[in-house]
Amino acid sequence: MAKPKAYVQKDMCLACGGCISICPQDALLWISSKAEVNTVLCNSCSLCVKTCPIGAITWEGQ
Amino acid sequence: MKYDVVVVGSGPAGSVTARFAAEAGAKVLIIERRAEVGVPVLCGEGIGQKVDAFHVLEGTRWIASKMDGARIFSPNGTKVTLAAEYAGSETGYVVYRDIFDQELARGAVKKGARLMLNTRAVGLLKKNGKIAGVQALHLNKTIDIEADVVVGADGVESRIGKWAGIQTTLKPHDLETCAQYTLANVDGTSPYCDFYLGKQIAPGGYVWVFPKGKDTVNVGIGVLASLSDSGKALRLLDKFIASHAELKSGQPLRLLSGADPVAEPIESIRDHLLLVGDAARHVDPITGGGLMLSIEGGKLAGETIGRAVEQQRFDQQFLSEYETKWKGAFGKKLHRNYVVKETLLDMEDKTLDMLADSLKDYKFEEFSTFSLIKALVTKHPSLLVKLTPLMKLARA
Ligand SMILES: Cc1cc2nc3c(=O)[nH]c(=O)nc-3n(C[C@H](O)[C@H](O)[C@H](O)COP(=O)(O)OP(=O)(O)OC[C@H]3O[C@@H](n4cnc5c(N)ncnc54)[C@H](O)[C@@H]3O)c2cc1C
Repeated sequence: MAKPKAYVQKDMCLACGGCISICPQDALLWISSKAEVNTVLCNSCSLCVKTCPIGAITWEGQ
Repeated sequence: MKYDVVVVGSGPAGSVTARFAAEAGAKVLIIERRAEVGVPVLCGEGIGQKVDAFHVLEGTRWIASKMDGARIFSPNGTKVTLAAEYAGSETGYVVYRDIFDQELARGAVKKGARLMLNTRAVGLLKKNGKIAGVQALHLNKTIDIEADVVVGADGVESRIGKWAGIQTTLKPHDLETCAQYTLANVDGTSPYCDFYLGKQIAPGGYVWVFPKGKDTVNVGIGVLASLSDSGKALRLLDKFIASHAELKSGQPLRLLSGADPVAEPIESIRDHLLLVGDAARHVDPITGGGLMLSIEGGKLAGETIGRAVEQQRFDQQFLSEYETKWKGAFGKKLHRNYVVKETLLDMEDKTLDMLADSLKDYKFEEFSTFSLIKALVTKHPSLLVKLTPLMKLARA
């Protein structure tokens, strides 16, 4: 089974851009002033999940 | 739309660059993706009083309080007090960062720069293979902004540099992930900016408590991303507040998250392009402080751009004047502090406690390398070995 992709819970995102600065795949983008994961580019490395200071990034399907 | 210069980002670095470029006669446009300059505030809001020397801020509306110095608390609570002049470029004023940024932007506009909000750069314009401006989304409409010079003042997440082929992605080891509250209903009148260190408190970073006068403080945490996991920064900050009697009664007026590069500077120029501020990683790797460097570097960038426009020279070679100047002004210091950061990261809490114990009565006003080393090793000879990398640095 494919690994789950990172997922931004939009109502928790405080838009600091930490995930965007750290994603080695450039898979995080601003959409309507919140971070969003491009699931095609995401390789499930978990860096953004670990980096988010308030825990707004989890895994798809969770 | 055709300008001499388009500055992407209206933070301190962008506004100050725009100000000095406009003052030198360049036609400048600043674009900002947010709907209000300086909002949301992602900052500890501390800056040294040396900022006055740049004459880029009018009046005092941006100042929340003036600080006498800093107090650093080691993991076991040992306190080292530093007068403001020894406490680095984050201690002096605690500011209202939103007003601070707006005052800097107002200064740029007063010198003739134009400012567009709700305008996000989404790519570089190229003409004959050369950078010729930016493409931007303005209220969901795509617009082309032509300019001879593009300034990437787009902060920690900088895309401009990346689009120009500069490696900007931060390693987890070089990023502090931050959470921050503005708390009311606490004592905000202390004359000290406080810093708390320790692996249990803030792995690879620190907690800061900066008084904003009356009954308000700015309290925040930075955790090194390589030592972080989901939501850790906020969890540890909440724990810190709950375990400190003087903060426990506080109620949050504001909660923010943030990201702060603690990396070495990167390349800052290409043909037709410059990077300033956080985008160029002009941040003190020890403290994560970048306000002063944004202003200092922004001024140098603006002045170089002014000359470039005057002489119609936009090649990398001409713009390298900027890189030479910022390296002269603070390049060495950033490199040195990066090495210090690495050394501090390797230190056990116990070592930090010994350091603090050696320094707690040290008279920094009588500073000399010799007296400092003596103070360090008299009490705790084993520190000598732990500090060898720093001694080497001091000799280099
Ligand atoms: C939590 C935290 C606490 C800090 N505390 C301190 C402190 O106490 N003292 C200190 O000196 N420094 C502190 N810093 C560092 C300081 O905030 C930065 O160094 C400083 O903001 C850098 O200024 P800048 O202008 O380079 O970037 P920023 O202030 O980040 O400005 C960048 C601007 O560019 C805009 N932008 C980004 N991308 C685009 C785009 N594509 N199109 C249009 N606009 C765009 C953004 O919206 C933003 O307004 C702290 C940082 C954090 C995260």
